[in-house]
Amino acid sequence: MSHFLLMLAYSALVSVFFAALWRRSSREQAILFLQLFLGMVGAGLLLAWLMYPFPSGPPAPIP
Amino acid sequence: MTATEPQPARAAEAREPVAGVNPWPGAVLAWLVPGAGHLYLRRWGRGLLFLAVILTSLAIGVGLEGKLWNLVPGQPLSYLGTLTCAGLGLPYLVLRFGLDYQGNLQSQGYEYGAAFILTAGLMNLLVILDAWDIARGLKE
Repeated sequence: MSHFLLMLAYSALVSVFFAALWRRSSREQAILFLQLFLGMVGAGLLLAWLMYPFPSGPPAPIP
Repeated sequence: MTATEPQPARAAEAREPVAGVNPWPGAVLAWLVPGAGHLYLRRWGRGLLFLAVILTSLAIGVGLEGKLWNLVPGQPLSYLGTLTCAGLGLPYLVLRFGLDYQGNLQSQGYEYGAAFILTAGLMNLLVILDAWDIARGLKE
């Protein structure tokens, strides 16, 4: 699974969880889910874009 | 009154403890099986949803061969990691002691999987608190 798909899966799971935990009506849950999901994915893409110019370097050695 | 303000009747109702329900069994059940505390409190939809979300997160983490934390003497962070993973209850006990699962350090998904497993543990800890609050009448 690619990093992006993992990020989508992680964001979806966490967003569903907190929407169910913090809101009671379906409409409020849907709104919070979208806010969290889009916020997490958007922030992830933004960070990736900001870090793009920096080289990743060689992989760290496995201890 | 705006839509976000709690309605007095509903707020007062929410503060009433759930009739005839001891919060301890719900909390223990919620720890043992994710979502079981809510099922015990007859919050069927939320209980099943929490069960599905937490087990899916755990399954992805284990599928990626992510790290399952264990205690390492002299490393305080390992205590926090283990406590978080142990928040999963029965699934943690089965993985740790039944299947002797620790993750695979050589796997590319080792760290990503660890994030999914830790998140599943943290989510279940929050679910335990939610079940406790519902049983005490602090939440709906």
